[in-house]
Amino acid sequence: MSADTKIAELLTELHELIKQTQEERSRSEHNLLNIQKTHERMQTENKTSPYYRTKLRGLYTTAKADAEAECSILRHALDKIAEIKSLLEERRIAAKMAGVYSDSDPPRKTMRRGVLMTLLQQSAMTLPLWIGKPGESPPPLCGATPASGDYVAKQGDKVAARVKAVDGDEQWILAEVVSYSHSTNKYEVDDIDEEGKERHTLSRRRIIPLPQWKANPETDPEALFSKDQLVLALYPQTTCFYRALIHTPPHRPQDDYSVLFEDTSYADGYSPPLNVAQRYVVACKENKKK
Amino acid sequence: MSELKDCPPLKYYDFKPVEHVKVCPRYTAVLGRSEDDGIGIEELDTLQLELETLLSSASRRLRALEEQRQILTDWQDKKGDKRFLKLGKDPDPAATNRHKPKKQKLDGKGSHAPGPGPGRPKSKNLQPKVQEYEFTDDPQDIPRTPKNDAPNRFWASVEPYCADITNEEIRLLEELLKPPEDEAEFFKIPALGKHYSQRWAQEDLLEEQREGARANDKKKSLMGGPLSELDAKDVDSLLKKSETQHESQEDSCPFGPLTQRLLQALVEENIISPMEDSPIPDISGKDANDAAGTSPRSQGKAFSVPHTRSLEARIKEELVAQGLMDSEERPGPGDSEDEVLAELQKRQAELKALNTHNRKSKQELLR
Repeated sequence: MSADTKIAELLTELHELIKQTQEERSRSEHNLLNIQKTHERMQTENKTSPYYRTKLRGLYTTAKADAEAECSILRHALDKIAEIKSLLEERRIAAKMAGVYSDSDPPRKTMRRGVLMTLLQQSAMTLPLWIGKPGESPPPLCGATPASGDYVAKQGDKVAARVKAVDGDEQWILAEVVSYSHSTNKYEVDDIDEEGKERHTLSRRRIIPLPQWKANPETDPEALFSKDQLVLALYPQTTCFYRALIHTPPHRPQDDYSVLFEDTSYADGYSPPLNVAQRYVVACKENKKK
Repeated sequence: MSELKDCPPLKYYDFKPVEHVKVCPRYTAVLGRSEDDGIGIEELDTLQLELETLLSSASRRLRALEEQRQILTDWQDKKGDKRFLKLGKDPDPAATNRHKPKKQKLDGKGSHAPGPGPGRPKSKNLQPKVQEYEFTDDPQDIPRTPKNDAPNRFWASVEPYCADITNEEIRLLEELLKPPEDEAEFFKIPALGKHYSQRWAQEDLLEEQREGARANDKKKSLMGGPLSELDAKDVDSLLKKSETQHESQEDSCPFGPLTQRLLQALVEENIISPMEDSPIPDISGKDANDAAGTSPRSQGKAFSVPHTRSLEARIKEELVAQGLMDSEERPGPGDSEDEVLAELQKRQAELKALNTHNRKSKQELLR
């Protein structure tokens, strides 16, 4: 299949890029060492003569150029990975589509709970981290940054969808977009937990797209939810979103939010802090619980 | 924070690159592989994470470098001032002691413990950050800023006077010296040309003639009267005719100008009745001064011209003898024109003097 060869190609390119990255880094290491030596000298001699200053400035400039080059190669590599992933995703969706028309039951029921959870976790982990260049601000759907007003989720995007269960209860579930109809302004979504739940057709207002980038706490803390903010978070080991308050935002890019779910079974009305990945925390628009 | 005296807060970052062997094992492994082995799809995720780590640390490094460089550059610009700066007023020993513990280790590992050091580069805008230092550090420094600014301002203001003379300025001076050639034309006294009264009269007549011709075209009648048939050259003759008429009126008083003036001074003019030929109307009651022109006047207009001329000469002699009039001659045709000419000549002389003066100064400057 051509997708496979394409993927193979991309993988090779990625390999190349990684090698280049390392070359770049080892090159710039030399310069960084120089800077360090100069620093030490300046500190021990306890003066900053113009000679040192100019030298330092020159070193800084070179190091800056090196860092920029390194950043750009790294970004290329990451882009390449994203490309490969999107190809894989396309393949998966195509397979799923094909699967719908063939024997539908077996594919849907083969996914065990544990497998599903692992998948979810992996998806959360590998959500690309937004590392902006100096001066760039986080785009929509990065961390807590909301989507633009006219944003339409694409096929395969994960969303939180408010569906009405058979007994009349409304719940926010984790779902995947199948299609969007511009004429009726409705999404068709599939429950991610494919246990026999059908495809839902919902209006835009019942769909919240999940973030497509992780926000980096070290560079863009404003793109994260802050303490005590009300959010909808995916309850661990389930595929449903519930209201929660942020307990602590993540410190490092790979960290999760620590949240307190609204839970009447606890004395103070809130659960103990639970960890939820950035991917599964979205702003809560509801005023009152259902 | 480094508090070296007179030194900006250079945070001596430890720009260590990420220890990729430790932190990014997959990355290292991939590096080790040859082309054939390549990367497996399953490794993509971990690779992604590691690459992100590297990228994150690299961009943090980038920002820190930029920030420090900016500080250095700003400091460089402010040099020449008495080593004063935004910060750094602590004495040396305290500085050396303090900055060792405060020295921030920017751990290349990227994810861990940001701390106050990398916390600074967090904000994207580098400019306010440098200013941030002003506030976070000792506020005593702020009053110092205006005091030490004075020398700067002084030198800036004196700069135009003390600066070296550039080639451009020399060239400019030379160019300025050249224009004296143009001034020659200022000294030309244009020809008098036709007197304006004549010119205007001519123009008026031409105008009327044209209008008459136009009216004539319309109506084909003799509306314009005598004028409608005139040519341009006829206009002149017409003018001459009117002038001679006018002159003849003047000539009706054959007395010379002196005579006229003298009498004018002595005689009361009757302003109501228009002044006709002679400027000397009835002198009833006025004691005309003897020998001059009383008797000839009363006798009418017809006088022989030589007679009046000798009369004029006699009057002049008499006045000179009396000391009432200087014997100098009046130059030129009319007074008014003389005045203009005299004025013009005076100005030209001034201009010439000024020009020579200017040129001399410019040449001095050039030297």
